[in-house]
Amino acid sequence: MTHKLLFHDIDEPGLNTIEVYKRRGGYQQAEKALAMARDSIVKEIEVSGLRGRGGAGFPTGKKASFIPQGKMDKYLVCNADESEPGTFKDRELMQKSPHTLIEGMIIAAYAVGANKAFIFIRGEYVQQAEILEAAVQEAKDAGYIGPNVLGRGIDLDLWVHRGAGAYICGEETGLLDALEGRRGNPRLKPPFPANQGLYQGPTLLNNVETLAAIPHILAVGPEAYAAMGVEASSGTKLISVSGNVQRPGNYEIELGMTGREIIYGLAGGPDPGRDVFFWFPGGSSSPVLTKDDLDLPYDYNSLAGAKTMLGSGAIIVVDDSNSVVDVAVKTASFYKHESCGKCTPCREGTNWTTKMLKRIQSGEATPMDLDVIESVCDQIMGNCLCVLGDAMAMPVASMVQKFRPQFEQHIETARAANEARLLAELDAAAPVLEGIGH
Amino acid sequence: MPRPEINEITFVVDGREVVAPAGTMLADAAKLGDVDIPVFCYEPKLGQPVGACRMCLVEVEGIPKLQTACSTPVRDGMVVNTETPRVKAAQESVVEFLLLNHPLDCPVCDKGGECPLQDISYGWGRGTSRTVEPKRHFEKPVELSPLIAIDRERCILCYRCVRFSQEVSEDYQLILHERGADTFVGTFDGHPYVAPFSGNIIELCPVGALTSQAYRFRARPWDIEQSGSVCTLCPGQCNVSYTVRDDRVMRVLSRQNDAVDDGWLCDRGRFAYQSSYVDDRVTEPLLRDGGVLRPVSWERALAEAARLLGKTPAGLGALAGGATSNEEGWLLRRLHADVLGSRDFDSRSGASGPAVSAGLLAALDTPEAQATVPDVEWAHSVLVLDSEPVDDMPILDLRIRKGVRRHGMRLAVATSRPSSLDSIAEQAVRFAPGAGEAFVCALDAAVGGIGDVAGLAAAAGADAAQVEALGRMLREAGEDVVIVWGERLTHGANPDNAARALLKVAGRLSLLDDHAGAGLLQVPSGANGRGLREIGLLPTAGPGYREPAAVGRSAQEIAQATIAGQITGLHLLHVDPVQSFPERGLWEQALHAGAVVAHAQFLTDGLREHANVVFPAEAGAEKEGTVTHPDGRLQRLRPAVARPDGARPTWQVLSQLIAAVGGQATALTSMMVTSEIAEAVPFYAGITHDEIGGFGVRWQEREAAAAFPAGETGPFALEDPRPAASPNGALRLGRFRSVWASPEVAHAPALKFLAPKQRAELNPDDAQERGIRHGQQVTVTATGEDGSAETIAAVAHLRAAAPRGSVFLESGLGAESVDVLDAALVHVNSDPARPA
Repeated sequence: MTHKLLFHDIDEPGLNTIEVYKRRGGYQQAEKALAMARDSIVKEIEVSGLRGRGGAGFPTGKKASFIPQGKMDKYLVCNADESEPGTFKDRELMQKSPHTLIEGMIIAAYAVGANKAFIFIRGEYVQQAEILEAAVQEAKDAGYIGPNVLGRGIDLDLWVHRGAGAYICGEETGLLDALEGRRGNPRLKPPFPANQGLYQGPTLLNNVETLAAIPHILAVGPEAYAAMGVEASSGTKLISVSGNVQRPGNYEIELGMTGREIIYGLAGGPDPGRDVFFWFPGGSSSPVLTKDDLDLPYDYNSLAGAKTMLGSGAIIVVDDSNSVVDVAVKTASFYKHESCGKCTPCREGTNWTTKMLKRIQSGEATPMDLDVIESVCDQIMGNCLCVLGDAMAMPVASMVQKFRPQFEQHIETARAANEARLLAELDAAAPVLEGIGH
Repeated sequence: MPRPEINEITFVVDGREVVAPAGTMLADAAKLGDVDIPVFCYEPKLGQPVGACRMCLVEVEGIPKLQTACSTPVRDGMVVNTETPRVKAAQESVVEFLLLNHPLDCPVCDKGGECPLQDISYGWGRGTSRTVEPKRHFEKPVELSPLIAIDRERCILCYRCVRFSQEVSEDYQLILHERGADTFVGTFDGHPYVAPFSGNIIELCPVGALTSQAYRFRARPWDIEQSGSVCTLCPGQCNVSYTVRDDRVMRVLSRQNDAVDDGWLCDRGRFAYQSSYVDDRVTEPLLRDGGVLRPVSWERALAEAARLLGKTPAGLGALAGGATSNEEGWLLRRLHADVLGSRDFDSRSGASGPAVSAGLLAALDTPEAQATVPDVEWAHSVLVLDSEPVDDMPILDLRIRKGVRRHGMRLAVATSRPSSLDSIAEQAVRFAPGAGEAFVCALDAAVGGIGDVAGLAAAAGADAAQVEALGRMLREAGEDVVIVWGERLTHGANPDNAARALLKVAGRLSLLDDHAGAGLLQVPSGANGRGLREIGLLPTAGPGYREPAAVGRSAQEIAQATIAGQITGLHLLHVDPVQSFPERGLWEQALHAGAVVAHAQFLTDGLREHANVVFPAEAGAEKEGTVTHPDGRLQRLRPAVARPDGARPTWQVLSQLIAAVGGQATALTSMMVTSEIAEAVPFYAGITHDEIGGFGVRWQEREAAAAFPAGETGPFALEDPRPAASPNGALRLGRFRSVWASPEVAHAPALKFLAPKQRAELNPDDAQERGIRHGQQVTVTATGEDGSAETIAAVAHLRAAAPRGSVFLESGLGAESVDVLDAALVHVNSDPARPA
């Protein structure tokens, strides 16, 4: 039996209004938290075992504990730039239950002593941004945000900031640069945002789902939350299932279910007659798994053990009607398009890889190009300023490694088709050529 | 923020133990152990490293991922490997990645042969390429500005140039367009990148993407040699390296001297060399004959000059321009003071009115109170007083910006004309043009917390609350306060009072004590203003600030005396007063009245019309001698190229003139003149060219500094300062001189487009009252005491930060210069002949 926390009331009509949200118990945890000691909230989050839901999976309580004490301006920033292909969980959360996020942010801001908070939402989420803005206004009117929150002498300002549609602004330091009004380029780390983030001040940066989980942790208690899921993957997780499945969508699960239970059980599996070819377990930047991996438990450690990652919890299923070459081209093209261009391996490596894959696709390559792709991916991984380069190199390298026969097969087929087309064209031109004396 | 203390640590790189200052970035620290780590984007001059190019990846033991050496500070006990297979693979890949889209046009690229990308490709690259893809294409080369061409195909996107524009010169013009592999450098909307320091990006570029339009295709690295010297176009005295090919200067590069220029140059310094190679340069002696200047032999010219100067029955006056070297100034002084017995000489460029007396000059220049250029960067707070660094001493502008941006220095600006530093200043205070003295008195009251701040501020035309706030800031920011003040503060009617007031403020802030890191830094109006002052080329001071037996005439008095017939001979060394002094009309009369002997590179207005003898002068790159930086650093000018055929060095001409008028010509070489100076100026004692060396030496740091005379430290009782003129319907006239207003700019083909046009800067409210709009043609009229009116045309330029009741016009522009107007108040009207 899966506990539902984030999605417990998700389809309740009008949940996006403060009235319904409060009727369903909303803002009680914020009120409770504001009466607690700041460090005891951080402690509870640490005990809950909550890990960052944006993709990196860093323990949330630990991250919050890095924020230094002191009188300087501190910031809380919610990363709502949900841009990883295949990921759409934050969208549903913000659209249907914006107050859960706001409540989580009030608690988090209080816990680390931040009194300026931002929600950086991707530009394409117009509807969600409008819903959030309305919800923030409601929360302000109700005294949950603003000067002297709930009469407890704490000030909290919260802004909804719309991004301009760049994937890189979902990288936390790129997000900070964009929020400051600059070109969204990742910054060199260290310093980490916890020490020098927004406007050089200590900044806690968390994903929407992470922050939204906080009120639920306080509600059920950290121990109960930690008891859900499996070792090192506690609590519930929203997963977005897409691709060749019959029931795509967001599901809230306890981590530790198998891939098969999710893909076939929840999402209905591929269309009848089709079989899983391979699947991305954690967004398009995760190394792919094959159908042989379907019985792997879906949790942080098991996936890491299989040399891939849980990422943002976005499962993309590719069935056997597709060509791995096409998927590789699509994936690489996306990251090539989204590379900010700041560091060399990512800028040039994603561009080069894409060019090579396109040549493979069009039959102008040789199997030696596969070696070059592998070596280029190898040189991107770990050598870039941020992880965008790795986000292309990991899935592409995994596809080339796991499906090399299919790539080689495609190269040969496409080459032969090109040759046949060329010969046919020459045949068609033969009478003309003869006519002019050749 | 005071300089941090740096401890030394020991780390190991490639098996060698190296001692380095803690916190040094690995890329720099490794050099101390003779290990070269290749870099592209890293340039310490640009500030914080960005780690973008990934060329400098190295292995640090204990850290799993490769680290960028440019951004990893060394720590004690760190073990670094730069030659392991893993590092080698990463380096080879970065080179391979960079070359994917880089054209292999090295044989026709200006950078080929001096190109970091070429060197690193050879040194750290794989040597072969695995790519078969087509390269990125751009239209090329295109004009980034009239000075700089950009070839975007060659660009490796290290974005040093963008960081320079954003974080060093802060002109914010260069940006990156597009994203990823499509990224390219440009300006918003393709506007030309025109800024005072734009040329630095050419030198920063590690490939041939940014090239100098003036140098492009003129030479290859194996044709050229470099020759170090010092730029004498402004008091900044940046250290330069001339690129010479076939005895001709082809370009100017920075020769980094952190105590002077931080490795930057302004565009005037970088491109003005072209002015040495124009047709209208004076290259042989000229004599006025039948009303026209004609070439003559050296013998004839020297004899004629000696006749005009030596046999003069009445007085004799001499002026020296800012670019005059110490040696030239010294010989001019010897000729006039010691041989011809005249005391009427002045070296204050563009100064109207009397000079500050010797005792006060010594008090202002005393070693205890002297701030250095690096002090500006590290001070707690800096006050820029009556100076616009970007025009008066451009390189200082960058140093001030660096202090604010990187070291949290707190900046205050107190000027009449709005300053380009206003936007980064914590306090920006305006006072009426010419009311500097009253303003400093008000500031003194504010800093001291005594006296009538409101009354004094009103006299200065300043806002009392702002003056109070400025006083508070200077008092409370921290003990290291530097006041950067413009010489024009002492160009008023009562310069001694202005100097006293400044000394009072400095005393209150404890700047006159021997406290390193705090003090005064004067921005002289001439490039070698300080050197000429110290050798005694002033009416009020002898060598080493000695009180003269009698005070001589100041520049303005020399002009008046010439018109009155008391002076019959004028000797002009690297200066045309018609071109560069405030009272243009007065000087035209004076030059007309007297016989004129001049040393000049160009025939500017006054010389063309009035000079009797003109000796050709050397260009900067041809000159030998010494100059003294505003903070007391003696620097050496070394000739990089030969003089034009037929020209002689000016020190030699002066020496020959001394002989020709019957004096004892003691100097056979320029160096012998330097020795004479070292004997005459006690605090220069024993200084030699060897000691000055490549980076100069501050005399304050030598033992002889103890011989500096005691300055006037009296009670500084101030009379009531003169209040600013009451505008009363008219506007107070302020004058400024743009960095681009100089004969070198007018003559250098590359820079000509920057030569300024007259403009009238005024407050939008004042403009509205007069029905004047931005960009409109206006007339500015000054009415003299005798009722005569002078009018010049200008373009209205509205600036919100300009003080009410004032208008600012440019000097140094020839006949359209503000120097035509000899008045404190003017009327500005929209030009009826050219309505908006």
